[in-house]
Amino acid sequence: MAEVHQKRPIKMPQLNVKVIRLLATAVVLVLLIARIRNVAIESQYGADTWLRLSVSGLIVGGMYALIAIGYTLVYGILFMINFAHGEVMMIGSFGGYFVFEAFNAIPVTLKDGTQNSFLNAQPVIAILLAFLAGMGIAALTGYFLEKIAYRPLRGAPRLVPLISAIGASIFLQNAGQLLFGPQRRQYINPSVIDRGLGWQIPIGGTNVLLTYSGIFSLVLSAALMIGLFVLVQRTKLGRAMRAVAQDKRTAALMGINVDKIISQTFVISGALAGAAGVMWGIHNGLTNYFVGFLPGIKAFTAAVLGGIGNIPGAMVGGMFLGIVEAIGPAALGIDFQLKDVIAFSILILVLILRPSGILGEALTEEKV
Amino acid sequence: MSTLLETRRVTKVFGGLTAVNKVDLVVPKGKIASIIGPNGAGKTTLFNCISGFYKPEEGQVIFDGNVINGKLTDRIAALGISRTYQNIRLFKNMSAVENIMVGFEPRMHQGWLSVMLRTPAKRKEEKHVIAEATKLLKYVGLEGLGDNLATNLPYGAQRRLEIARALGNNPKLLLLDEPTAGMNPQETDIMKTFIRSVRDDLGVTIILIEHDMRVVMDISDQISVLDYGQKIAEGTPKEIQANPRVIEAYLGLGASALSEKYRREKQL
Amino acid sequence: MKSSLIQKAAKSGVVFAVIVIFLALIGFTVTAASLIQKVFGEAVGVSAMPAYPALVVFLGFIGLWNGWRAAKHTGDHPLRAGSAIVAGLVAGFVAGLFVLVYTLIVGTIHSNGVDMRVYLSSLSPESIVYFLFGQSTLTGGLIHLGLSIVSAAAGALLAIFSDRSQHQFALWKQKLSLWVNTSWPAKLRKNVFVGYIAMGVVLFLLVILPRTWGSYWNYIMGTVGIYVLLGIGLNIIVGYSGQLVLGYVAFFAIGAYSFALVTAPDPHHLNWNFWVALLVAIVASAISGVLIGLPILRLRGDYLAIVTLGFGEIIRILIKSDWLKDITLGPRGVRNIAGPTLLGKSFSSDIDFMYLIILAVLLSIFLARRWQESRIGRAWLSISQDETVAQATGVDTYKYKILALAIGAAFAGLGGALFASRNQFTGPEDHVLMVSINVLSLVIVGGMGSIPGVILGAFTLKGLPEILRELESYRLLVFGALLVLMMIIRPEGLWPAKRPKYGEKSPPLDAEKGGPE
Repeated sequence: MAEVHQKRPIKMPQLNVKVIRLLATAVVLVLLIARIRNVAIESQYGADTWLRLSVSGLIVGGMYALIAIGYTLVYGILFMINFAHGEVMMIGSFGGYFVFEAFNAIPVTLKDGTQNSFLNAQPVIAILLAFLAGMGIAALTGYFLEKIAYRPLRGAPRLVPLISAIGASIFLQNAGQLLFGPQRRQYINPSVIDRGLGWQIPIGGTNVLLTYSGIFSLVLSAALMIGLFVLVQRTKLGRAMRAVAQDKRTAALMGINVDKIISQTFVISGALAGAAGVMWGIHNGLTNYFVGFLPGIKAFTAAVLGGIGNIPGAMVGGMFLGIVEAIGPAALGIDFQLKDVIAFSILILVLILRPSGILGEALTEEKV
Repeated sequence: MSTLLETRRVTKVFGGLTAVNKVDLVVPKGKIASIIGPNGAGKTTLFNCISGFYKPEEGQVIFDGNVINGKLTDRIAALGISRTYQNIRLFKNMSAVENIMVGFEPRMHQGWLSVMLRTPAKRKEEKHVIAEATKLLKYVGLEGLGDNLATNLPYGAQRRLEIARALGNNPKLLLLDEPTAGMNPQETDIMKTFIRSVRDDLGVTIILIEHDMRVVMDISDQISVLDYGQKIAEGTPKEIQANPRVIEAYLGLGASALSEKYRREKQL
Repeated sequence: MKSSLIQKAAKSGVVFAVIVIFLALIGFTVTAASLIQKVFGEAVGVSAMPAYPALVVFLGFIGLWNGWRAAKHTGDHPLRAGSAIVAGLVAGFVAGLFVLVYTLIVGTIHSNGVDMRVYLSSLSPESIVYFLFGQSTLTGGLIHLGLSIVSAAAGALLAIFSDRSQHQFALWKQKLSLWVNTSWPAKLRKNVFVGYIAMGVVLFLLVILPRTWGSYWNYIMGTVGIYVLLGIGLNIIVGYSGQLVLGYVAFFAIGAYSFALVTAPDPHHLNWNFWVALLVAIVASAISGVLIGLPILRLRGDYLAIVTLGFGEIIRILIKSDWLKDITLGPRGVRNIAGPTLLGKSFSSDIDFMYLIILAVLLSIFLARRWQESRIGRAWLSISQDETVAQATGVDTYKYKILALAIGAAFAGLGGALFASRNQFTGPEDHVLMVSINVLSLVIVGGMGSIPGVILGAFTLKGLPEILRELESYRLLVFGALLVLMMIIRPEGLWPAKRPKYGEKSPPLDAEKGGPE
């Protein structure tokens, strides 16, 4: 075996993909920071604007996080992107809309003899029912979505369920358009969380309005996220879900009904998206058939950002994306029209530079 | 006798598990080397390190004097290492001939423009590849089945088609991952003869992962035994059969008794 | 046993009731009835409702299907007449009951004077009255119940009849296929000249039709032609190399805009020649394909889909934005885009344009086939089937994926340039996500990787809705449903791809090398 050592192996200078990624990340970060510094120096915005933007980013981020959890839950179990998830949110948004509309149409005479709508007379009941309806109908949509469009395709090549999901998304969006019309609809809020009302916070000479509706959304999304976290970590269902996500076959051998768990996952993620939909309506005051499209993609971005399959990651990613998107145009000194471009660019940059996301661990190498 | 492939202290870790632990392996040119060991011993992981699917955390894979670990799998294939898979992985919806023709890929040079213009050089190359692929098809005994989709072929034929595809790039080294898995004794015998003839006819060096001791003992020039990711023994079939550590690894069953047991199981 | 049978039938009935109610809610019942009436030769006047028999035919058809399905799902082989009819009746009754409840709700709200359109935009008062057959709420609902039961029973009878005659059908089918395979159709098929003659007839039609069928058809078929072009391009990316790209419209937009900006007088005063501009559009799209592909093609399938979708949206938002207004004219779009000229003469009539599009389509089919049937096509296909193994077999997957994207993008660029030139206008609203989805649908419905499939897909998904104008607003709904349905029942598409045969080209046997047997 002596001749083996005669030929010294030639060491090739290899440009590692990791090194390239690291360099590219550094370059992008440096450019961004330089740009932000320049803008900040000649900034025309005061502290009030920044506060307003960050708060609104945080509120929207909470909704993104709720939707992103749905993507992450489904991806963790089925390894597919539920493209129609944004549409589930849209349907949830309409669920809340109809409850508010119905309650607004019911007149009540208050004790002091004034006429008012049921909506404003009993706002707590109205809000509760609106969320129940939105979450319920969205959960139902999620359930049937899985049952009709995904379940028959278990075990098919990856492209097949993905195309089916795209088809389902197109179907739901257009069903929404045909049912509810293409026009934007005014979301009627109970007067206690009217969009104009809120706390005034004086900052730098001007007042920043913290709307009740926004704070309400933020608190509710935080509560729902904590609830979900407890559900996944502490309950039997959560344990089963985690088991199925790890290994479907072994889970089935352990007596877990895999199909049922998958269905329940879709129901849970649908309900969260539905809640986000109702919040979206309350916060923005408008809804229509297209309302789920952009939040859907952005929430997916958030899920990828936090490392897809990772629940806390989706929460952090959602919040992060919401804030970045809100303050990004101002910080970078670009047009607010290009807000959506920022979200998409983040998605692309993250996927290229760090595909496992911010909190995600490295994906395991494929078993051959 | 020169060395074709050498692994030096190759180590691959998954999470906390060291699947391959500092394995040194030297395969001389023109030989059939077998890797045996209990399930989960790291045999396929070692294959994956050699063919470039995995990047070993430590150590080097040296092929024909070049360090190849860390290279992309297509570059390694172009250097002359081909492989088959434990669970057959053909291009299912392509015909058998086309599967083999994909194997010729590293040897083809015509680009998109010459394909678009259908230059004489391109036509010549295509003709040559079709002829060679048909020849290979015949060589593995699938003559006349070339236009069938790979997925429609019977199991044994799929195994042989996979080998034919691997032979397409004119490899110097062929990695066979359990080529006789799921075969009956007759088919196993045919496969055994075939593996030997590939080496003899084409001068291809072969590394074999195999559970069937009869095959291993009959055709190997050299056997390495892996257990828990470590190489515990190496030598000729005779030496291995007498090695106490190997016998221990196989739960106290003697290697010959084991092969006897396998044979009986297969015949049942 | 009996109760499970009834349960199953009732379930089927519920499904069909949901379908009918959904169709009523989106206003499809009225559209379908008017189509049926049109088929029988009486066009429906503007804003008038079709006659009631048309609705009966439509609902009867659905009911028939309901009964048929319920009877077929009783699980007996062969069908037992008794249980099949019971199943049909139960399914019909349940479906009718649900529809009755629906009509009661809607009818009551309607008769209280509420305009439902505020909430559900398709529920106009006229359509509600129409759905009640012009009767009172309860009578209308009962008619629905009766219709459902009767038609479902008829469906069950039909199922029994077809089950009884299945053997006979099989015999006929066998005879027919025997005849097709042995008698003169087989001889015709094997004859080379028949192929040439067929090709000649097609070419003749392609030459003669644009001159004879008028500008309306030229417009529709031109659109179909451009979609065939786009379909062939996307087919290379999705069908051959298996990379799901959802932002195909980005390349279409880049082609259209680069063509528009170098030929239009405004904003850049370039006024380049049509052919030069066409080349610029193609090259610009191809380069953008490479540039976009370089960073993202290492991504796995589903990530790739959403990233490319993002790219498509970015391009559209950028085109539309104030930021690039000086270059692209923003939301207003670019006008007065040049038409084709040759040796100083203008060829911009609709007939000339039709010929140009036909030429482009033929050329692209020719080129796509060349690539498909070479080592490149094989490499693409191997990547689409098992990327990991393809790479380990020696295929430079990264290079081939970028090549596929570049070629596909070039086709999209050509399509975009022709589209802009024909309309003499291009704006951001020409380049919405729906274009990508249209093209993707036609590729998938036609059959991934199959050129005849793309043509078939373009005609059915783009041509048919143009002809059946009534269905326009339901087109995307149907596309979505079609994508799901195709994936479940026929993922290979209507006209699946065939692999080329190499059998005849086998060289003489080589005696030197012996096989193992």
